Amino acid sequence: MIEQVKKVWQKRELLWYIVKLQMKAENKNKLLGFAWSFLDPLLLLIVYIVLVSYIFGRGGPQFPILLFIALLSWRWFTNALTRSVTSVTSKLALVQSVRFPLAILPLSGIIVGFFDWLFGFAILVPMLFIFKASFAVNVLWLPLLLLIQFIGTIGACLIFAVVGTYLSDLGNILQFVIRLGFYLSPIIWIVEDVVPESLFTAYMLLNPFAGLLESYKNVVIRGMAPNEYALWGAAVACIVFLIGLWYFSRNEYKLVKAI
Amino acid sequence: MIKVSELGIKFKTKKRQRARMFSFLFDRSHNQQQSSGEFWALRHVSFAVERGETVGLIGRNGSGKSTLLRVIAGVYPPDEGKVSVEGEVSTLFGLGSGFNAELSGRDNIYLDGIMIGMTKNQIDGIIDTIVEFTELQDFIDMPVRTYSTGMRARLGFAIAMHSDKDIVLIDEIMSVGDVAFREKAEAEMNRIIGDSTVLLVSHEMGTIKKFASKVIWLDRGVIAAVGEPEEVIQKYLAAAKVKKPLSR
Repeated sequence: MIEQVKKVWQKRELLWYIVKLQMKAENKNKLLGFAWSFLDPLLLLIVYIVLVSYIFGRGGPQFPILLFIALLSWRWFTNALTRSVTSVTSKLALVQSVRFPLAILPLSGIIVGFFDWLFGFAILVPMLFIFKASFAVNVLWLPLLLLIQFIGTIGACLIFAVVGTYLSDLGNILQFVIRLGFYLSPIIWIVEDVVPESLFTAYMLLNPFAGLLESYKNVVIRGMAPNEYALWGAAVACIVFLIGLWYFSRNEYKLVKAI
Repeated sequence: MIKVSELGIKFKTKKRQRARMFSFLFDRSHNQQQSSGEFWALRHVSFAVERGETVGLIGRNGSGKSTLLRVIAGVYPPDEGKVSVEGEVSTLFGLGSGFNAELSGRDNIYLDGIMIGMTKNQIDGIIDTIVEFTELQDFIDMPVRTYSTGMRARLGFAIAMHSDKDIVLIDEIMSVGDVAFREKAEAEMNRIIGDSTVLLVSHEMGTIKKFASKVIWLDRGVIAAVGEPEEVIQKYLAAAKVKKPLSR
């Protein structure tokens, strides 16, 4: 497994180049090109503001930015998962032509998604002033939260890359699970508002992503320290990472023949 | 130098693969058994290629030629037997576009180069030569999806020829280009022959005769004959007249 990490590290130039090409390819035929990296989350944000603030009449004054930071992180995670399912099969010609660490394929999707996160965050920054977010040193926790999410996402994507290569059905299942997960996670709502206190601990343990999402909101908008359940999220992320690395390593070269 | 001994490559049907995916949940011995859901794309294949030799691979469609090249490129690990390859192998990019058909030919050249372990600076040094060789001038910055089959072949061939690797694998690229390109490609082949070890897959016996010093005829995954080009090609052509079904 350590070998796997080494292999990818040796090929980091290739990884970086694939990331660049992937971003280029995704935007090439669009009139607005890279502007979509900003527009996508912004338009999505508007949809949810309309839904929650106007239709349901909920959400506080800071609702748009609370929603936005959670939405960005959720999108990073789920887009990476979606990409990973087809990450190997869609690069058929490449995979069959030359030997390289295949983990680069799902990994590049995660990194591309991280850039989307950064673009989105760039839009969020001026909004933080408009909606009067409280700033505090606690914002320095942000890189750590991102790292936790990155590690967990790598693990999950490595698993999905293998399973998705054998089972194309995974894409269909995943779409549904992501949608469900979206409503079950504190993105368009806040845990305290929705989950009854008696179920709070159970909920946070069952949804390791929830602690992370609440922590993002805490450090970026509320000026508070991360939610203590972020630690649970970190533990789950590490476990998923190790499982993913192990599972991918033992299946890597069988994948080539599976396509 | 390439040395292949008793090589076997086994493919499984999708169903069997799916079962394997969860193999860690089950008893190991359970999965080791042979079953009907698999077939050997190559079996008992043994040969050696000396440094600087050019070897032609011939055989009907589905006889395992491309599979063999992929094994040498390191894409498929052998299921049986041993393969040792000394030296660096150039890419196998044949007619498929390597990465993404939306990307330009230029981007694909860089990607291919980096894939086989060149640095960006090295590619910067040869990119002009490659572009000139392909004669794609105006098209080189257009998406590869707009390329004709011949144009893609030019791109793939140019990259393989200019990568300066010890071992060059050519899968059916030569026969696609137009007359002018073929002449150029042949000149280029003559340039690298002797310096690089070349494995050439082609259905054009003329091409094989021109370049190969040895020919391997693959038939349904096993070597049917190896040796002098003339001799092996004669046998192959004679056998081709007796029609056999493609399935094994």
